[in-house]
Amino acid sequence: MTALTVNGEERASRSGPMTPLLDVLREEFFLTGAKAVCREGFCGACTVHLDGEPVASCLVPLGAAAGREVRTVEALAAGGLSRLQQAMEDHDAVQCGMCFPGMLMTLTDFLRHTPAPTRAEVKAALAGNICRCTGYERIVDAALDAARSA
Amino acid sequence: MAASLADAVAALAERAGEGAPLAGATWIMRAPLRREPAASAYVGIARIPELRRIDIDDRSVAIGACVSHAQLAAALAPHAECRALAQAAGHSANPAIRRMATVGGNLSTSAFAAADLVPALLCLDAEVELQIGGTGERMALQRFLAHRTSLEPGWLLNRVIVPRRPRRSAHVRLPLRRAGDYPVAIVSLAVEDEGAVSVAIGSVEPVARRWPALEAALKGDALDPVRAAARAADHLDGFNGRAGIEAPGWYRVEVLPVLVGRAVAALGRPA
Ligand SMILES: Cc1cc2nc3c(=O)[nH]c(=O)nc-3n(C[C@H](O)[C@H](O)[C@H](O)COP(=O)(O)OP(=O)(O)OC[C@H]3O[C@@H](n4cnc5c(N)ncnc54)[C@H](O)[C@@H]3O)c2cc1C
Ligand code: FES
Ligand code: FES
Repeated sequence: MTALTVNGEERASRSGPMTPLLDVLREEFFLTGAKAVCREGFCGACTVHLDGEPVASCLVPLGAAAGREVRTVEALAAGGLSRLQQAMEDHDAVQCGMCFPGMLMTLTDFLRHTPAPTRAEVKAALAGNICRCTGYERIVDAALDAARSA
Repeated sequence: MAASLADAVAALAERAGEGAPLAGATWIMRAPLRREPAASAYVGIARIPELRRIDIDDRSVAIGACVSHAQLAAALAPHAECRALAQAAGHSANPAIRRMATVGGNLSTSAFAAADLVPALLCLDAEVELQIGGTGERMALQRFLAHRTSLEPGWLLNRVIVPRRPRRSAHVRLPLRRAGDYPVAIVSLAVEDEGAVSVAIGSVEPVARRWPALEAALKGDALDPVRAAARAADHLDGFNGRAGIEAPGWYRVEVLPVLVGRAVAALGRPA
């Protein structure tokens, strides 16, 4: 068994140590927010926070997450929508939504470290989050708005 | 998950060549996509404290093998003479991958031609420290690249040592999009205050290497982007570009003069 903390709860997984963390979250813990899309680190749909830092959970072997703290998109709205989530709604930024759990996890961390970003900085931060629907501009607008209203 | 370097070396020795180190796992976890078999066992080295350190003194920067690209870029930001390496670490892949992928993994993956840190470290004359069969060995990075596929099983890359000298440097990469994917070609350039020039090329051939003919042609030159690009165009003969999904081999070679010009422009003014 591998022990880890997921969204503040102590959990144990029966999966093998080389199982992608993404599959443990989705298939064993039924936390289906993080999405399995490319499974090769390019698209960012599977982004979760590991010890507070956004990583591609498709490339994290369970064994490497042992004893560490994982936060998924499900944890963001614990006390109502986060400021960033609200800004995404206000800007009508979501289309199919496949990329959004990853967008939110990346941007939540980015805005924590960069409270007053430029447009170019937001785009650079999203280099590993691919969206096939929106063309990004509204997502960037929403992120800038969330930063301004913080 | 090994807790110390000694544990990792012992665990690898016990598996007698059947086991492999696992660092950031960004290459290993994609083995199924490359249709490669997994090793029968992995020894996790990412949490070994001595492999996660960066020690900077007057003479050198010593980088532990399990330092991530993101950590390296942040630690080198104040050190102008290592700028090529900071740029390589700070612009490879994407932000999430840079937090996971390690220096040691980047240098040890012989099947990965587009590794950014390799040409950057080559142009800065880096050396590597290895653990081979329980003994430590230090060698020039260039030598390591030539020998890494034939080392005794169970070897481990321990640290990378970059000498500190007064120099300016730059790392220029050409990805298909502005960020996020593998570079088609990479040029790393360093110029010492005495006029010596080092140029390393990555992603063009299967293994990155220095470009001695261009280094000789540029030595002592008052570096100018247009003239440097013209000199590069005169010395393309030795390259045999690799074919790949992002670009055909000839294209990787053809773009080199432009990238050399950009690297010279990116050096900025003498400090
Ligand atoms: C989407 C994506 C894009 C990427 N783009 C780029 C890019 O543009 N430029 C770039 O440079 N990189 C890029 N990479 C990262 C590339 O996977 C890593 O740079 C690197 O090759 C792997 O580092 P790692 O620590 O994850 O290694 P791992 O996957 O842990 O290991 C890779 C190999 O190295 C061996 N190994 C690891 N550490 C050691 C050690 N200390 N001693 C001996 N052997 C060791 C392992 O056994 C394995 O064979 C990208 C990765 C992804 C997922
Ligand atoms: S599914 Fe993990 S990055 Fe695409
Ligand atoms: S909203 Fe559909 S992929 Fe981004």
